[in-house]
Amino acid sequence: MSVRVRALRKAFGAHEVLRGIDLDIAPGEVVGLIGPNGAGKTTLMSCLLGFLRPNAGEIAIAGRPNDDLDVRRRTGFVPERMNFDRGATGWNFLRYMARLAEVKDADAKSRAMLERIGLAGAADKRLSQYSRGMLQRIGMSQALIHEPDYLFLDEPTSGLDPNGVLLVRDLIAEQKARGAAVLLNSHQLAEIEKVCDRVLFLHRGVIERAETLRQVDRIVVAITMLPGFDVQHIPNAQLRDNVLIATVESEQDIARLVKELVDGGAGIVDVRKHTTDLESIFRGAA
Amino acid sequence: MSPVVILETVRRHVTHIGYLTFLALLVLAAFATSVFDRPAAAWPGLLVLLAFVTGCGVVGPEFSSGTLQLILVKPVNRAVYLVSRVTGVVLVVWLAGIVAALCELAGRALWGDSGLQARAIGTALLNCATDTILTVSFLALLGSLTRAYFNIGIYLVGLIGLGLSSVVFAFIRQTDNAVGRFLKAHTGIERGLMVIDRNLYPDLPVPPRFDTGWTLMVLSNAAIALLLACLAFRRREVPYGAD
Repeated sequence: MSVRVRALRKAFGAHEVLRGIDLDIAPGEVVGLIGPNGAGKTTLMSCLLGFLRPNAGEIAIAGRPNDDLDVRRRTGFVPERMNFDRGATGWNFLRYMARLAEVKDADAKSRAMLERIGLAGAADKRLSQYSRGMLQRIGMSQALIHEPDYLFLDEPTSGLDPNGVLLVRDLIAEQKARGAAVLLNSHQLAEIEKVCDRVLFLHRGVIERAETLRQVDRIVVAITMLPGFDVQHIPNAQLRDNVLIATVESEQDIARLVKELVDGGAGIVDVRKHTTDLESIFRGAA
Repeated sequence: MSPVVILETVRRHVTHIGYLTFLALLVLAAFATSVFDRPAAAWPGLLVLLAFVTGCGVVGPEFSSGTLQLILVKPVNRAVYLVSRVTGVVLVVWLAGIVAALCELAGRALWGDSGLQARAIGTALLNCATDTILTVSFLALLGSLTRAYFNIGIYLVGLIGLGLSSVVFAFIRQTDNAVGRFLKAHTGIERGLMVIDRNLYPDLPVPPRFDTGWTLMVLSNAAIALLLACLAFRRREVPYGAD
């Protein structure tokens, strides 16, 4: 495991914010963290990044403590709000971050990153002149410039326009493809559904529910049918309100399943790959 | 120490309009007082003020603004970061001091009639440079323990409080009440406060002279302040945002 957390507890005075968190993130896995305000999401993120010291429990990143400098060398973090010396230009800021992260050829990489995130034209503008979306973009770039293996994102799409949201989605997908372990804290359930492999629902300091949204070797398919068809003979399937939820191993299996249903006389209205409905989880658990 | 952090700290200050304005003021003061018989008459005081102003922002405000979180996830040791920030700020003040000293020397060479007095000006610069290390280190210590600019408040309360204490104590000692009698019987309290004042807020030697004892006292106090600042900073929690 890239990130391993066991029995993590954190209290502020008498108020216990985290009450025994267990968490694992594998390389190449994107894990979403959702929960209502005050659930402890930011506190958990702060503990993972070493900003806060837990009262109990264990945090290991690649088997090492989270304040290990080698771990930091491979860690990226995007805060919800980018705060930095507002007098600095985008270029100065990013180059400083790259140099701090010990990036070789920091100047060239900073230039390339500014190009990648669409801020090359604003490189010489001061951060005070940046919009919220531009600050989010440059915040994302400082976290990615050293190609981290562990990426912690706190509301990375907050304040972004649709193009920015798509860019962040692409960047997260690239990190996942590179093998980075990503923890994404967001209130935007649709975003979590789109990019996360797994989602953790944090409530009152405990992980109340964990849902796998995507599995490499399995696909969940939802087939809406006309009423009156029995599916008991189909393995790994269940029927809810005329929607057949089945777990298959490949897209060919989906085609085979549809054919089997049609051959059996089912009236099929809609077929789609299914992800867990986060909104209903959120509504049910919050 | 981290050259990256030091360079960034210096860059940030020398490109700041406030610093450049202060530098212009120093230059003016240095030129204006170069006609005086007494060397280094004005700019050392201004340099002490510059050390205070720049030292205030070493680390305290970064706690509150959220800047620090971006830095602390990078592969830089907290103590190294703090010492590098202090070094950067000290260098910036030294730079201003060198400019001021050179301006006074230039002024004396151009229109002064009491000689160049290079030795006295150099000594004044050295004393200012030493004092700057203590001021910035002490403010970094206070900044490591507080948020935002509270370090300024504590520093000023200490400076003013300790400065006034001898006057207040002398006044109370004249009274015949219990406190006055207590202070008369325990003169060590007053002496102790004066020692603290001298150690934390040392006055520059006037006229400028090299005083080994003073220099060692200031440097050792700065070292202690910086060590304590590093210890506090390493243990300090840096919360951000809100759930």
